[in-house]
Amino acid sequence: MKMEIPKEEHMGPGHLACAGCGSPVGLRLALKALGKKTVIVIPASCMSIIVGGFPHSAVGVPVVHVAFETAACSASGIRASLDMQGDTETTVVAWAGDGGTFDIGIQALSGAAERNDDFIYICSDNEAYMNTGIQRSSATPYLAWTTTTPVGNPKEGPKKDMMAIMADHGIPYAATACIAYPEDFIRKVTKAKGIKGTRFIHLLTPCPAGWRIASNEAVKVARLAVETKVFPLYEIEGGNVYTITYQPKGIPVEAYLSQQGRFSHLTTEQMAAIQENVDRQWDRLVGRCEGRLH
Amino acid sequence: MKKVVSGNKAVAYGVMLSRVQVISAYPITPQTTIVEELSRFCAEGELEAKFIKVESEHSAMASIIASSVTGSRSFTATSSHGLALMHEMLHWAAGARLPIVLVDVNRAMGPGWNIWTDQADSLSQRDTGWIQLYCEDNQEVLDTIIQAFRIAETVSLPVMVVLDAFFLSHTSEIVDIPDQEEVDQFLPQFEPQYPLNTGEPRAYYGMVPPDYYMEFRYKMQEAMEETVGVARNVDEEFGRQFGRTHGLIEPYRCEDAEAVMVTSGTVTSTARVVVERLREEGIKVGLLKVKMFRPFPMEEIKGVLKGIEKVGVIDRNISFGHGGIFAQEIRSTFCNEDERPIVFGFIAGLGGRDVTPAVIEEVIHYTLNKSRPEEEILWIDLKR
Amino acid sequence: MAPKISYKRESEMPLFPVSSGDMTWNRTGTWRYIRPKYEDKTPPCNAACPAGVDIPMFIGLVGEGRYDEAWNVIRQENPFPGVCGRVCFHPCESHCNRAEYDEAIAINAMERFVADQAPPVKPESPSEGMRKERVAVIGAGPSGLSCAYHLARMGYGATVFEALPQPGGILRTGIPSYRLPEDVLDKEIADIQAYGVEIKTNTRLGGDLSFEDLQEYEAIFIATGAHVSRKLNIPGEDLEGVGSGLDLLRDINMGKAVRMGKQVAVIGGGNTALDAARAVLRMGGTPFILYRRSRDEMPAFHEEISEALEEGIEIRYLTGPTRILGHKGQVTQLECIRMELGAEDETGRRRPVPIRGSSFTIEADGVVVAVGEEPDLGFLPADIRVEAKLVTTDNGARTSRKDVFAGGDVVHLDRTVAHAIGSGKRAAISIDCLMRDTGFSTVLGEIRVGEGGTLSVTKYLSDIARMRSHHVVAFDELNLDYFEHAERNERLKLPAPERARDFKEVSSGLTEQQALKEAGRCFSCGVCNGCENCYIFCPDLSVITDEGLLRYRINYDYCKGCGICIAECPRNALSVEKEAK
Repeated sequence: MKMEIPKEEHMGPGHLACAGCGSPVGLRLALKALGKKTVIVIPASCMSIIVGGFPHSAVGVPVVHVAFETAACSASGIRASLDMQGDTETTVVAWAGDGGTFDIGIQALSGAAERNDDFIYICSDNEAYMNTGIQRSSATPYLAWTTTTPVGNPKEGPKKDMMAIMADHGIPYAATACIAYPEDFIRKVTKAKGIKGTRFIHLLTPCPAGWRIASNEAVKVARLAVETKVFPLYEIEGGNVYTITYQPKGIPVEAYLSQQGRFSHLTTEQMAAIQENVDRQWDRLVGRCEGRLH
Repeated sequence: MKKVVSGNKAVAYGVMLSRVQVISAYPITPQTTIVEELSRFCAEGELEAKFIKVESEHSAMASIIASSVTGSRSFTATSSHGLALMHEMLHWAAGARLPIVLVDVNRAMGPGWNIWTDQADSLSQRDTGWIQLYCEDNQEVLDTIIQAFRIAETVSLPVMVVLDAFFLSHTSEIVDIPDQEEVDQFLPQFEPQYPLNTGEPRAYYGMVPPDYYMEFRYKMQEAMEETVGVARNVDEEFGRQFGRTHGLIEPYRCEDAEAVMVTSGTVTSTARVVVERLREEGIKVGLLKVKMFRPFPMEEIKGVLKGIEKVGVIDRNISFGHGGIFAQEIRSTFCNEDERPIVFGFIAGLGGRDVTPAVIEEVIHYTLNKSRPEEEILWIDLKR
Repeated sequence: MAPKISYKRESEMPLFPVSSGDMTWNRTGTWRYIRPKYEDKTPPCNAACPAGVDIPMFIGLVGEGRYDEAWNVIRQENPFPGVCGRVCFHPCESHCNRAEYDEAIAINAMERFVADQAPPVKPESPSEGMRKERVAVIGAGPSGLSCAYHLARMGYGATVFEALPQPGGILRTGIPSYRLPEDVLDKEIADIQAYGVEIKTNTRLGGDLSFEDLQEYEAIFIATGAHVSRKLNIPGEDLEGVGSGLDLLRDINMGKAVRMGKQVAVIGGGNTALDAARAVLRMGGTPFILYRRSRDEMPAFHEEISEALEEGIEIRYLTGPTRILGHKGQVTQLECIRMELGAEDETGRRRPVPIRGSSFTIEADGVVVAVGEEPDLGFLPADIRVEAKLVTTDNGARTSRKDVFAGGDVVHLDRTVAHAIGSGKRAAISIDCLMRDTGFSTVLGEIRVGEGGTLSVTKYLSDIARMRSHHVVAFDELNLDYFEHAERNERLKLPAPERARDFKEVSSGLTEQQALKEAGRCFSCGVCNGCENCYIFCPDLSVITDEGLLRYRINYDYCKGCGICIAECPRNALSVEKEAK
């Protein structure tokens, strides 16, 4: 019943995250899996502010702050330098938000993935540009409210399938993860650490301010995302071997959507449409696990 | 050893001899042969470096910023739109105080597509905090790259080494390529001031509030001011080691000139020939080559142009709404001086249009014959 | 906490923004509106247990394989885990929150598991903490022995006077060995004696001993139990072959020869009736039970009833005897009448009303009467008040005489072992209060567990134990995201046909595997069991593991009051309070 996680801490308190933010939960767990010999690259994002500004840093491993769209190529650069210095132990990790991954950062990420540059890329996904005040990104789910997709003009498109994009680059390892499943996340980071090449982890980190949930609900809502199959937990190895790593209960999506103010405007029909999408995506995932590509 | 090499190849030799460790580049005409030569050097083991074949120039600069802060001597080359695309990251590299060297093959900005030489690309970046050095010939290109790493690693500012598209990049000249051992003596291993290592974890480039931001900018300017002296010393040392110097500026027959022409890049070579010929005809004209554009060596220039009545600046660029950029810099150099030359600002050679001896002669005669420039901006050889 | 780095001059600053300090100077605790705190609360099982056992604590220890420590936790409150783990009516299980999720935890079986693997208590030499006061306990039943045990552990000299040749009270005389084997009872009584409790058997108060003889003791505890069988008060009750259930069971347990018939009618619906019937079966007779109400009203434990039915014992509900008929002084028949249920009586159960004209006769050559038992209080001095055949006591087990206390079946109608044990504990605490000149009422509020009559001696003796809030955690106050459905691990029972042959114990205990699995099912309602969710999910690294008893504490310098710890605690072991401004 007790979750076993490594005890050593690699970051400290006093950081600037909002009360109840899912991101530092994720970073803390990731660092436990990664250990001391890690360099973290942080592009413009909530995290670049959370960890604290000059001359302080809440993180106990070297952090390189980089421009918004450059997480992946910066990671490539650091890796190149470490390799030239003969350092084969230090892991290079990029910690980017959904904006810096799905949108402005996708070019650099695609380039690095195509080259199979050797680093772990963790996308801490809170499904909008939260640092600049809750504007939509291509990771924003269908019909979610944001300041640039207000209720009168909702987001019509689906959430971009970043995992599929990364898998199609043929990278050795891609996985989804969620802060409500710490052991699963830590296992995946640890597994990624032992693989060479571009490794991508899509981590769901709810934002109370942007999702319009209470400050104590990030973990609960993250769990609901998984249990309702909205955010399945799975791995893709070598671009085509799919494995579901947690069998969700399959609760109706309403349980997840009704918890969040950003979905409070949804009609029954819209919820039904979302349920249909979720079911279809799940079937597709199961099919891929079974080797069927459609 | 002397070889006949193009400017781009000279760049590649300079990079190789400087033992660059990480290169990240994206092809753009007319820089492409730099990238190709360096790829070949890496592949054949002549240069031990990581070459990241990035997917854009923006990523090129971002990745070598990262490799530089991690502790590796890093390099990239680009041109025109590629440099423009790097703009955000050029600010970053300078603010990050990283000793990166970038070679820009001076090329015009589109639209329409123009691959020939023009100074718009490099000069658009003049406020980013990069040191800018304009080369006149391929020997200077190779030598300047080696010097650039020395300067950069001393003052902790990135250096842009500029050469003209096609006139240098694709034109072969005799270049004396120094020995690796000699270069090693001149250019020691890069030792970062705040090495990135997990034993002593630091955070680099976190948010800086108004309380501290100005001080960092002040430090950058301080470093720029220091650069003039540092560059001069480096050049002198280079001279002692390799028997050649290039200076930050180079006056030619300015001592009793009635007018001095100010040029940069390959226009200088042409202008020098014209000035020599006119001097033989008894015309008192001089030439001032400006190599170092940033920091702008005001004191050195004042030293040469003091007492000169007229200065004719040939700009292969224009700052729209104001005029030629070198001309602006010369004017502001003398702004608070009691004696100020009259500055004739000529615009010539944009988009690779040839600046011929005839054009230069026309410019010189105009300067000598007119008491003042008839217009603020004097367009030369324009279809008007 | 590293200090905040501050620069006054540009020359002090590094060349570019590079940070070496940490953020611990930034005490984000100032952001809070609400403050979480660790607050263990009362689990419903603990509140329901009349003996006050700290159930989640002992089950948690079982889950960690720390069986002896689990045993010690039980024995902080209850010296009879082996006994209770067999005969208790387990109200804990009836209140267990897990029942609303799938099935209640097999607490009773777990208690037995722990007791069965425990070694005997080594007799201790008297420690320095011994107090000079001595207490006389009358009756070595569960109530008296519980009182003596707790007093001995508090440092008092306790002497127990027992009328019968063997100690144990109703445990010895009233519960057959197929439910409670003798050696189990003997072991736990010996464990109590190991604490220095003296037991003097064959000493009856009012016979061998008088009340005046007890004057040398600073306090007296009366726990003589209820061993007088109630009569039916119908014609024929004095015929041969008619006896009481209590007498029958006592004689069997004491090894006396028992004469009984073949067709034996057992009158009554309580445990005594069920035990008597099942004993008759095992001795070769054919018992059948007559009860005047329906099954729902039967006071016997459900399991007892089920087991009896499995063994083939017939129960005739809504049937009452009206006359016992005999021949030559021996019972031959029983005249009965059918009943229907009318209005509620003083116990809240519906009164049985005879149906006119429904009389019938059944063959029986033995009748066992088990319709209730009463205490024999004739030995009490006049100044000790008795009402409705029970000794009058206040909430501190005090009688009308200052230094005389009473408990167990002589003071209440809850005729269960667990109540007796709890009652003896209450008296022990009250006696200690008397000796220290503390008002029992002043401590009562703090040592209660929940809202009923359950008391905790651990709370009495320990400040930390008192920190557990009185709020009883309900099912909807738990976070069930961390639990999977799992079947309850059940003890094995002998198959019914095998059982009737002898008095061998019917139930076996849980295996170790089962006990560990069952421990994993316990929600540990309200009681932190170190699952560490709070520590794992805290975004601000503000949950610190504590070396002490409290396991964790909040670092209020940094806690932002997000409340994730409270939300993700599966068992409501954290509470929220408003941040003082």
